[in-house]
Amino acid sequence: MNEEENLSEMESLRLINEMISKAKSSFVTTGAASMVWGALIVFCSLLTWLQIYLNYFFFVDVWSLTLVAVFFQVYFSIRERKLRNFLAHDETITTYVWSAFGICIFLLSFYNSKFGNNDQSISSLFMLLYGIPTFITGGVYKNKPMIAGGILCWGLCIISMFTENTTDMLLMAASGLFAWLIPGIILWSSYQKKRAANV
Amino acid sequence: MQEENFSPQASLALIQSMIAKTRQGISDNSIHFLIWGWVTFVACIGQFILKNMLDYKQHYLVWLLVFPASLASIYLGMKQNKKREATTYVGESMRYLWMGMGIGYFVLSMILTRLGWNTTIYPFFMLLYGLGTFISGKLLEFKPLVYGGLMAWVLAIGSTFFNYDYQMLFGAGAILVSYIIPSYLLKIKVNKKKNFL
Repeated sequence: MNEEENLSEMESLRLINEMISKAKSSFVTTGAASMVWGALIVFCSLLTWLQIYLNYFFFVDVWSLTLVAVFFQVYFSIRERKLRNFLAHDETITTYVWSAFGICIFLLSFYNSKFGNNDQSISSLFMLLYGIPTFITGGVYKNKPMIAGGILCWGLCIISMFTENTTDMLLMAASGLFAWLIPGIILWSSYQKKRAANV
Repeated sequence: MQEENFSPQASLALIQSMIAKTRQGISDNSIHFLIWGWVTFVACIGQFILKNMLDYKQHYLVWLLVFPASLASIYLGMKQNKKREATTYVGESMRYLWMGMGIGYFVLSMILTRLGWNTTIYPFFMLLYGLGTFISGKLLEFKPLVYGGLMAWVLAIGSTFFNYDYQMLFGAGAILVSYIIPSYLLKIKVNKKKNFL
């Protein structure tokens, strides 16, 4: 173990700041996770919409792709963590937020598979859930596009209460776009700029 | 200002004290958890009695209790805001969490209004009870909240095997284990610590 080093108050603050900025270049905040998840939701929603529109179901289990995506996200996040020897506090928070979100999505999917044929608009409930972790993560990282994305998801959820199921799929695609894909692209480009500046 | 030296242990202790401070802050503000917990609990049980025992058609009117509860909560919140000290990082995260949860509940209530009162909406409310308390419990490192959140999710699954009339009782159970009991336990823990100091 390293020799114990005494830190001044200023050094402690600097260390905390450094941890925050290091954490900001993590897998989550590079925008990669956000982009993958967002692109997948947009793809699945648009494909479902197209299938309903054409009344031809060529890929019924399209949403099962989200499970594959969850698997890869967990794998990359574990691998990332093994490479680093610390976990910043904001990352701990977002890990809990997204774990809880994952459990809720699983429960909602379970509910949907059990009562999928009733007339409730389950897509509205999914959009409601999409908004919550995005808004909290945006708040924790002070990321305005994510805060706006979360709020937009709730707005789209309210609109979906007044629309047909087919249109709901387009609203769902918009949720994925605003909540994850666009904020992810913004995070990715700012990460690339920072990386280029540091080289 | 004279610069103070911190050992790594002292730095960790500082972070722990931030969590403890937030925990105390949440305990001081637990009145909100308790107001909402008890109002929801009474409304669930009340609706069950009105609908199933008294066969009262407008059983849902019991949920009007939410309006005075909201006013009381807003009034107390404004009063507490005036004497609020500097917020910690955990406190700031909790603020965003509960802001998000509040909007979530509001939107879910709008969905409920749109779908009608006989819709099996209770599991979704229980899903949200679990979400808020599970994350809070992890942030505050307070296990009763974590377990409360997990139990709310289990009750949400359990309720899907029963019809709407009985889901109300599951709702009451979920709010009891996820809001009411952990709030009292948190209050006891913080008070014990205060007395110890």
